[in-house]
Amino acid sequence: MWKSTALVSFLVLLLAPKSAMAADEVTYRLKWLINMSTVGDVLAQSQGFFKSEQLAVTLKPGGPERDAIRELELGYAHFGVASADQVIKAVAKGAPVVVIAQLFQINPLQWIYFEDNFTLNGASDLIGKRIGITFGKNDEYIMKALLNQSGIALDQVRLFSVRLDYTPFFHRQVDLWPVYANTQGIEIGNSLEKAGERIGFLHPVRFGVNFVANSVVTSMKRLADDPELVRRFSSALLKGWRAACDPGFRDKAIAAVQRYDRDTDRDTLKVQLQETQRLVSPQGLKHIGDIDIAAWRQTEQIMLTYGQINRPVGIEKYLIVP
Amino acid sequence: MLHNRIFQFLLIYTLGLLLLLAVKYIFGLSDYVIPGFWLLWRTAGDVSVRYAVDGVNTLSVAIIGQMASILLAFFIGIVGRQATWLGTIVKVAAYNVQAYPIVAIAPIIFILLGDGFLSRLFIAAMICYFPLLLSVVGIMSEPVTDIEHFYQQTGRMRWQLEVKIRAFENLSKLTTVIAGSSTLALAGTIVAEFIAANAGIGYNIRIALYQSDLAKILVALFMIGITLSIYQGLLEILGHSVRKAWTS
Repeated sequence: MWKSTALVSFLVLLLAPKSAMAADEVTYRLKWLINMSTVGDVLAQSQGFFKSEQLAVTLKPGGPERDAIRELELGYAHFGVASADQVIKAVAKGAPVVVIAQLFQINPLQWIYFEDNFTLNGASDLIGKRIGITFGKNDEYIMKALLNQSGIALDQVRLFSVRLDYTPFFHRQVDLWPVYANTQGIEIGNSLEKAGERIGFLHPVRFGVNFVANSVVTSMKRLADDPELVRRFSSALLKGWRAACDPGFRDKAIAAVQRYDRDTDRDTLKVQLQETQRLVSPQGLKHIGDIDIAAWRQTEQIMLTYGQINRPVGIEKYLIVP
Repeated sequence: MLHNRIFQFLLIYTLGLLLLLAVKYIFGLSDYVIPGFWLLWRTAGDVSVRYAVDGVNTLSVAIIGQMASILLAFFIGIVGRQATWLGTIVKVAAYNVQAYPIVAIAPIIFILLGDGFLSRLFIAAMICYFPLLLSVVGIMSEPVTDIEHFYQQTGRMRWQLEVKIRAFENLSKLTTVIAGSSTLALAGTIVAEFIAANAGIGYNIRIALYQSDLAKILVALFMIGITLSIYQGLLEILGHSVRKAWTS
């Protein structure tokens, strides 16, 4: 009896489709530490969306010294998140990388300011102001492009080198300070509002600067060799991001992020989620992940203007639009 | 000595670079992962003057920091050499405090002192101070019995004479430690600039990292290496002259 049972089990195992036996192991390198900006990624993992596409995904948090594009090329990661300026620089230097989805439709990078300091009705209100920028990072190019488009020369404002702490902003030595509106912006805004301050945000997109933020990338080789894997990964990931923007998943989304981001309280996470939803799906759930080609072209143009690339790269050739 | 130092550095840098280029060409990696020779050459042409000026800026902070830490280390070392309760406390404190990683407390320094010259100087001095202190305390606490015995027996021993004897007998060790501590002072300044300052070669490395530009980082490393080699070579020449002057 046991012999026939063993034989049947063996045959079942042998004849079972490969996909049912083992999931594909995939490494996904994020751009930054896990916080609300990665809510869709962690939801895709925690809700089993990757698993249902037969993927065993290892989510690796990013950081300032992590570079997903390098890891793709060196074979340490299968997919990653990179900012648009990273992608364009990499392409300019011959990196074989493609963009498969654009996570943020609106760049979360904005500038926070005290409303009692000045009123921001138009770009001309920036004249004479002390503006914080991180030299070398994309906020430098975004602000310079914003000023340029508004006809403001660099010597009409005072640029302040932003580093670790917010003290110069809190002491009002700097009028505008760059923050990620959906994470730092909420935290700092909450603390300041509790202290009775009124704060506002400068949105570069309102001044005509649409510099693309985080996008999902993979290598050209992976796309050519295993398009099905790329499709399955992309589909599961965007399902995660759609869930993140779906009110029905709110509590699950907050719980998934809170597992990693333990220092942020639930109320703050709730507001961060709302702001993230506004940046990820401004035109509704079905446009999540859409690649905004015009914004990519503008990003490339800004980088070309400020000498971050020395020739046009034709970025649209590297954008995989389904 | 000076040309030896420079030659050694150039040899090591060239070998490192060749290894990187070999990895690049063997594995067919793009310029984004490892810059090719021409990209490096072009980048060097673009930034080397600016980086050289910033390298000198960093070195000047490192030298001031090192001088401050040498003075402090000698002061504490001379106090700590005594077998009194004060000497014992100083020694124990020196051994314990040096175990603290400066990088961990650097952000506090930046918050308190801002991200200007003072923070860079303070961190540079702290990083090279503790190893110096341990060496100075070690040397100054070790009696040179043969010589000191004579002065003790004739009643002519003074603390200044004791310090001179111990320093003279260990001059070679002291000059080596001081020359070696220049590396730490420079490393300390670069760490400070990398973390939060807004000037110097470490700040440039930070920006290059933001820009994912390894070519700039390699040029910066060259500037750091060559500046340090020249400074260390000069320190060795100075140490040699001091030894010669004392022994004659």
